[in-house]
Amino acid sequence: VCRLSSDEKPGKFQPPPKPVIIDKLKQIEERRFLSPEFIPPRGRMDPLKFFIERKDMIQRRKVFNIPEFYVGHILAVTTADLYAKDKVNRFVGICIQRGGKGLGATFVLRNVIEDQGVEICYELYNPRIQAIEVLKLEKRLDDNLMYLRDALPEYSTFDVNMKPETRLDHEEIPVNKLQVRMKPKPWSKRWERPRYNIKGIKFELPEKVMKEAQKWSQPWLEFDMLREYDTSKIEEKIWKEVNEELKK
Amino acid sequence: MMPIWTKSGKKHAVTLLKVQDCHVLKYISKEESDGKTAKLLVGGKNASPFSKSESAMEIFREAGVPRKQKVTMFNVTDDALVKPGTPLYAAHFRPGQFVDVTAKTIGKGFQGVMKRWGFKGQPASHGQTKTHRRPGALSTNKAAKVYRGKKMPGKMGNIYRTSFGLKVWRINTKHDIIYVNGSVPGHTNCLVKVRDSKLPTCKEYNKNPPFPTFFADGDEKLPEDLYDEEMFQFTDPSVTYT
Repeated sequence: VCRLSSDEKPGKFQPPPKPVIIDKLKQIEERRFLSPEFIPPRGRMDPLKFFIERKDMIQRRKVFNIPEFYVGHILAVTTADLYAKDKVNRFVGICIQRGGKGLGATFVLRNVIEDQGVEICYELYNPRIQAIEVLKLEKRLDDNLMYLRDALPEYSTFDVNMKPETRLDHEEIPVNKLQVRMKPKPWSKRWERPRYNIKGIKFELPEKVMKEAQKWSQPWLEFDMLREYDTSKIEEKIWKEVNEELKK
Repeated sequence: MMPIWTKSGKKHAVTLLKVQDCHVLKYISKEESDGKTAKLLVGGKNASPFSKSESAMEIFREAGVPRKQKVTMFNVTDDALVKPGTPLYAAHFRPGQFVDVTAKTIGKGFQGVMKRWGFKGQPASHGQTKTHRRPGALSTNKAAKVYRGKKMPGKMGNIYRTSFGLKVWRINTKHDIIYVNGSVPGHTNCLVKVRDSKLPTCKEYNKNPPFPTFFADGDEKLPEDLYDEEMFQFTDPSVTYT
């Protein structure tokens, strides 16, 4: 393109702008997942303790594969059970909560078996766990699906003999925007209140109740600077460390 | 604190204790001390030498060691003569031994009788006038006095307490860390005194320790991690029952 209206010396050759090549494969590979139990909590503990715990966690991951999963995935866990037939116990359920840091990290699986709701809290690094399979991959709108206890049982029932779903690496995990219908009140917790910040329930309550629940909102919380815990830099360091060790 | 699993799949909670720059400061023989046992003065964590008087710094100068934040005495047998200035490491203890841990408990300040001594207090309603957490009666009528040592409100915590008979599960020789079963008095990162257990049930487990202590420049080359026999190591495959 000829640029005669430039302010510099007229007639000087301006090379055309270089084309920017976007490598789509490389972009997709950039998606990272660091299991939340690796991130140390905020406190006055010596970082050496977290370093040593991480070494143990990586050791365990080298021997036993812990797949990447979020709250809302449907998992099947087989554990060694002394009092079960064949000494092996298999449980299928939806992951409703991931808690704990370090070696004591846990996840809770929920299922409804023969009209009885069952929740089992498993420890990720327990040596009795023989296998963790991801049967269905879908994220939900919330980080904590404890409200499924007060939802209609159809939302917590999952087939025990479900087939595992294959998943291509480097693809976005789909988000299921399901709005769950609840049993009539009273509930175990007042899920309509803003402190739980639940987006996955279809509240069929009267507007008056919803307005009253907003009385307990704390709009200043998101601006509270003392509560801020920026984990991006810590995550990057730990991500590098964990990846290097796992590749060995 | 961390979880630890045994080979049979049971979970135990474990406290990590770090041995930070421990040196032997002085050996006091049986005759010089009370005449019953010999004593060894041991110093922990390094600290700045500028806030102590010259007379206090004498012991550190003679041993050739920087000033230590905590100095404790250990009762030892006569043949446990260690040269002042030798460093002490976590490998002094071995997995499977039992250990007593002493430390200053977390200070709670001035506390009332319900929190400090576990009194039941009084009911919340049914006519109680201004009396819900008080101690109630102090003594009987006939005594006509209050006995010494009566449990009353006061400063709680910040005193030395010991937890006895704690099993050592694992020793990390590279970072000098001892994994001790159960909980230990004191807040996180506080200074702690670790001794061989004096309980009669733990005598047989504490035989054959490294005597008088583990010397780093000696002939023994230990692996980085020493585990107890029953402990599940993460390099093993998952636990199965047959």
